[in-house]
Amino acid sequence: MKRWFPAGLALLAVALALYPLQATGYGVRVMLQLFMWIALAQSWNLISGLTGYVSFGHVVFFGTGAYASSVLIVTLGWAWPLACLGGGVAAAVLALLIGWPCLRLKGPYFAIATLGLNEVMRVVVSYYEGLTGGGNGLSLPTLYASVEIYYAMGIVAAVVTAVTYVIVTSRFGLRLMTIREDEVAAEAMGIDTLRYKLYAFLLSAAAPGIVGGLSARDQGYIEPLSVFPLIMTITMIVMALFGGKGTIWGPVLGAALLFAFQEVVWARFIYLHQLLFGAIIVGVVLLMPRGILGVLQQKYNLPRTI
Amino acid sequence: MAPILELRGVVKRFGGVAAVNGVSLALEPGRIYGLIGPNGSGKTTLFNCITGVDQADEGQILFKGRRIDRLKPHQIFHLGVGRTFQVIRVFPELTALENLLVVTTTGYAEARRRAQELLALVKLERLAGEFAGNLSYGQQKLVEFIRVLMTDPELILLDEPAAGVNRTLLNELLDAVRRLRDQGKTVLLVEHDMKVVMGLCETVFVLDHGEKLAEGAPGVIQADERVIEAYFGR
Repeated sequence: MKRWFPAGLALLAVALALYPLQATGYGVRVMLQLFMWIALAQSWNLISGLTGYVSFGHVVFFGTGAYASSVLIVTLGWAWPLACLGGGVAAAVLALLIGWPCLRLKGPYFAIATLGLNEVMRVVVSYYEGLTGGGNGLSLPTLYASVEIYYAMGIVAAVVTAVTYVIVTSRFGLRLMTIREDEVAAEAMGIDTLRYKLYAFLLSAAAPGIVGGLSARDQGYIEPLSVFPLIMTITMIVMALFGGKGTIWGPVLGAALLFAFQEVVWARFIYLHQLLFGAIIVGVVLLMPRGILGVLQQKYNLPRTI
Repeated sequence: MAPILELRGVVKRFGGVAAVNGVSLALEPGRIYGLIGPNGSGKTTLFNCITGVDQADEGQILFKGRRIDRLKPHQIFHLGVGRTFQVIRVFPELTALENLLVVTTTGYAEARRRAQELLALVKLERLAGEFAGNLSYGQQKLVEFIRVLMTDPELILLDEPAAGVNRTLLNELLDAVRRLRDQGKTVLLVEHDMKVVMGLCETVFVLDHGEKLAEGAPGVIQADERVIEAYFGR
């Protein structure tokens, strides 16, 4: 197990790196979206899977990153890779500003606050028409860079997963988990829970910001409704839950399986796929709240690193 | 000797009820103190005020001469005040070992060594890799107890350490508490088991309706009319 797992990962990485050389444009776009979902589900996992603070408005960081990077490209003429990193920084700054008051809220109140934040940000970008184009949206200069964005998305997904690995296997990660397990005890045992939650929130916001920028660059056009959709938050939550929240590979697995499922079903049954997606949510929550990896870990007593 | 912990007229209200109503007391270092009183007399609330879980509405709390009544729980912990809880609060989905590791501030290797040492002290070394939530009630209680000792606190507050622990285990636990005292630590414990209180504590405080009813040596307290009345009624 210990030997073939890294070897398999390396092989997969090489295969994915070579994939665009022989793939169709459509194939590259599909894989690029898969990477995006992995990065999003994994980022949500960092705050909500580890600390138990459920962020119900995580797409706000995606949307903020999309707008920040697009504005940097359109008004300041930044190169897109730099602008996308700027989107990540903008999302992280927003997380800091929002986290400072909101992470003091316990349980469902935090979830509701983040949900509200998403709606607020959508209204804010609609209002500042001069910068964002308001409801008409913002068009980016034409650019054919799907393959480059494919690699960028892949790197972000890999980095977020690597960061998760480092965190989960460290004392910092264990301390984040104590917040999920029993926050009062964590405080009483000397853990500055607010600071730890803020770090986790900051880390969980950066990648969605970058990914939002990349996605905006890939689409070439953004509008408030397209980059702040609630369904996107729900999708990343379901992916993380399905694979196993609080684990390293659960969100990757959940994103891959559900994304593949969506692609296959969507192609055949346009109207049915949302219904089936809803059925999966209900099924997971009722039958398998720990997700696939969570169940396997418990059943076979696997270490946290699997 | 200067007191290690001093409470001056501490008041804590919940709505209209004063759970703790003007309690003053002082603990000298290197001794074991007991805190007793009927259910609802304010013992746990007093613990919560000292450790910052609840903020006192009035009065002052001083640890080694420094006011701590406006500090946060994690700050108070790092000054050297450790506690256990009445209802067990281990981290269930962390292993016994990890439950200890999260508490430390030292390097990882040093923390591991200390954790193994403490697990051996309460004979739990073979369960180090087990999720704390899978341990028995008594074992979880022990994990909580040694978790407090990871950072070597000077003042240790134990909320009903004997409840639900079998006799053999209990005697080991009490021995451990005495050893702590011999090392110069101060211990304040809430306990309903009078045998434990009388056998272990050098000074006992009695709370009733949030007020300090009596204070003294266990023998004296046991004979105190007011204490008997508070427990059994007139």
